[in-house]
Amino acid sequence: MRIFRNLSILAVVFFVSTASAQNYDLPILEHVYENGLRLLVIERPGEDRVVSKIFTDMGALNETPGQYGAAHFLEHLMFKGTPTLGSLDWEREKEVHAQIRAAEDALIEELNRSRNDLRERGVFHDYQHSETTPRIDELRALIDSLNRQAQELSEEGPMKVWYQAYGGTRTTATTEQEYMKFDLDLPVDRVELFLRVEADRMQNSVFRNFDAERMVLVEQRLGDLNRAETEYREAMNSLVGRASMVYVPEGYSNDFQQYTRRYERELYETYFVPNNTTLIFIGGVTLENMIPKVDKYFGHMERAPEPARYQGREPLPSAEKRLNWRSNTLAPRVEVRYQIPGVGHPDRPLFDVLAEAFAAHLQSVVAEAGVDGSVDINTRVVHTSRFGVPASINIELLVDDSSQINKAEDTLLAELRRLGEEPLPADLVAQVRKKLRTEWYRTAVDPNALAFQIGHFEVMDSWRTLEPYLEARDAATADDLRLLAGKYFIAKNRSVGVVLPEGAQQ
Amino acid sequence: MRKLLLLAVLFATPSLAQVLAHPRDMGLPDSDYTRPDPVEYQLALENGLIAYVTEADQVPLVTMSAFIRAGRVSDEKQGAAESLQDALKNSGPSEMSGDDFKTSLKQMTAEFVVEMHEEWTEITLNVPAEDLDQALLIFVRLLRDPAISDANIERATGSVAPEANDLGGESGTALYEGSMNAAVDHFYEIIYKDHPYGRRPTTDEFNDLRVADVAEFHARYFVPGNMTIAVAGAIDVDEINGRLVDLFGDWAAADVPEVKQMPAITRSRAALHHFPSNKLQSWLVIGHDLPPAPLEEQAAFDVMDYIMGAYHMNTRMMRNTRYKYGYTNDASSFAEDRWYGPGGYTYRSYSRPEVIENIYENMMGELIRIRNEEVSDHEMFVAKGALADGDFQVRYLDGYALTRSLALERLRYGNHDRSASYVQRIRGVTKEDVLNAARKYLRPDSLQVILLGEEAFELE
Repeated sequence: MRIFRNLSILAVVFFVSTASAQNYDLPILEHVYENGLRLLVIERPGEDRVVSKIFTDMGALNETPGQYGAAHFLEHLMFKGTPTLGSLDWEREKEVHAQIRAAEDALIEELNRSRNDLRERGVFHDYQHSETTPRIDELRALIDSLNRQAQELSEEGPMKVWYQAYGGTRTTATTEQEYMKFDLDLPVDRVELFLRVEADRMQNSVFRNFDAERMVLVEQRLGDLNRAETEYREAMNSLVGRASMVYVPEGYSNDFQQYTRRYERELYETYFVPNNTTLIFIGGVTLENMIPKVDKYFGHMERAPEPARYQGREPLPSAEKRLNWRSNTLAPRVEVRYQIPGVGHPDRPLFDVLAEAFAAHLQSVVAEAGVDGSVDINTRVVHTSRFGVPASINIELLVDDSSQINKAEDTLLAELRRLGEEPLPADLVAQVRKKLRTEWYRTAVDPNALAFQIGHFEVMDSWRTLEPYLEARDAATADDLRLLAGKYFIAKNRSVGVVLPEGAQQ
Repeated sequence: MRKLLLLAVLFATPSLAQVLAHPRDMGLPDSDYTRPDPVEYQLALENGLIAYVTEADQVPLVTMSAFIRAGRVSDEKQGAAESLQDALKNSGPSEMSGDDFKTSLKQMTAEFVVEMHEEWTEITLNVPAEDLDQALLIFVRLLRDPAISDANIERATGSVAPEANDLGGESGTALYEGSMNAAVDHFYEIIYKDHPYGRRPTTDEFNDLRVADVAEFHARYFVPGNMTIAVAGAIDVDEINGRLVDLFGDWAAADVPEVKQMPAITRSRAALHHFPSNKLQSWLVIGHDLPPAPLEEQAAFDVMDYIMGAYHMNTRMMRNTRYKYGYTNDASSFAEDRWYGPGGYTYRSYSRPEVIENIYENMMGELIRIRNEEVSDHEMFVAKGALADGDFQVRYLDGYALTRSLALERLRYGNHDRSASYVQRIRGVTKEDVLNAARKYLRPDSLQVILLGEEAFELE
């Protein structure tokens, strides 16, 4: 047992290493084609497989009111194949799709013409002059019938199936506020399959099974709404933001019915162009051998007019806002949110450190104050925790007993004030820096997670921002965090949410 | 003139100028992948302990895992396994206080997981490479000599006793989050009703339990020949092998406990079990037990399951619920085997209540069809490629996945024969094999149907 002799001593004298500049060693190689397509590669010689991703700089930020969730829906539609993938008889199928588009154009025309009859006028969604018109019913029936015809002429899963057949895994996709991406992990000697399918998807997608697929989104939305927290969080999001689309969820119930092929096609044709696209590969490939391969499938695409950038901008913070939420299923809590800058702003990396350090600190303060509860600090809005535009830091204190809510709020606000005046303990900040560094390594060890981070930073700002972002977190001091809190944690930048059981007094 | 027209078309729509070969005509190379040779990673100690070690230095992290053939059904004295799990998770090695143990984990920024399954336990510690010495010492000490006290028994009582896990009964409501988990829990409660896998210690049994019982359970099962180790990360393999010899070498060999073979399940007739819920969706679980498949049938079962519903997007189940009709976001199968007894084979979906019956009918239609008709050549081609060149390769994707897969295989089967022959066995599966697997492992007359949500249909 001699080997264990010093274990207790080790535990006691163990200390956190001091802050030091870390080498994150991200050997990202870049090639930009004449048409604007960006290729990023991390070479890992000898690896049998390669993680492959294609990022498009578009997402929920680019949607129109009434069509929320349309970007996410477009992602679903882009799994439905192309003329060469998924059709049993493209000539016949093409003709049916043309008829569907014509019928939908006529439907849109009729919906616009009847707008004053169909307009929802009730707060409780309870009054329209009429629900529909004979022409609308006729056109919808026609589209249903054409959908069935088209379905007979196509097969399902036309893209994934080939990925799977050739050893592809992680055949997923994601759409958030600022990006859409498609993923694949496949044997390295079959990487051309990814290029062939993605080039086809980018230019020739056929929106098959449009109306059935929209119901899949409804199911996903119902899944969200089954969680007691969803509607409260959405209310908090909209309390924080007034103009920015960051705060809007992936579709309200009315939106799903309003998606049109025409609108989806417009998003598709505007944003899925080479100069708005980044390809990322990590694994047993080299930049040198990928350049001609990518060129073979994407090189012929012409640079398109630069897609319109998102221009929503929050007005300057001007007043504290408050939400009182009554619920018997949601745990009682007080939550304070502040708007924070987006990735690319020099202050943004510090918020990662602040969130971790303040959470640990606040937990002990709350306990000392006699409030039974738990602290969670995050930067999540809808499903995403980092943005290239301003979003929010969310400081949540869940209490075991709703009668302690006032005390919890007083304690939280007092500690937030103190945060801008007194630095947090230096050893706590050092510990947090180490934690964030370790968490990053846990991300980077997984090529799929690493490729995502590279792509995400590219759409938020630039992939070149990633390494300085990590280094800035490593250099953060307790005094930096104090200054940060003093600058952002001010009353007029604050939104407060309080959750109490129905009937409880505050 | 025709040439001019063609040129005009090419210039007008440049994307159409590209002729894309169909994937099957791209000349993609056949796979020449071979599974890494276990011998290259293996360290066998004289006391019977076997470790798999490899360097993976992309980031300065190290992961170490221990796999022990001891789980919830292994204990003679009920509650001993659960109490030991608590000790491993919360108390740490006996020479440290629980607080020091937790402080050390926190200061190392460690990820520490203890998972106890029915027949085996996994302990994993992931730390920065700079903390390797400290972590390795704690890890080994924890395995060899965990601190066990009454507090562990008390905590285990609170988390395991039946009253803490009340699902609401057949007439109760399931209001809590994770309704699919609730439906699956109901399924297992039903199929394991009188089976050791369904047995949970009672409060009285915990009250009868003593620290000595838990220590005895540990002493019996946590022996070198009854566990395997995996270490991967930014390490020097020779150095780690030396450390493992130092740290484990003086652990005396002990008798390896005999494997407890679990009895088969007595199947019930097909039945519907309805559990009300007031959510916006309903959840459906259809299934029965899954007897252990002999080696010669495993590959055919995997192919059949892949075609039907194994958790991916291009299955028969997904096509006939989600894609064609938009009924649901997911309809998948879950083959959850056990090491030494019957597991569960379920098909799961969820939807708005008004279409849950359609989902049930379509899923049942597929369950019957796969037993009556041969699958297509195309389905076989896709499933074999996906299993042999996709899922199988991913098991050995990186250093940790590799050592973990090898360590688990060795512990469960005592050798690496299954993984050595897996690709060949998958390639050799015929359509007839798939039909036979479906007829043997999918039994409509025994399906238990769990409906969590609004009442929607009756069994025919």
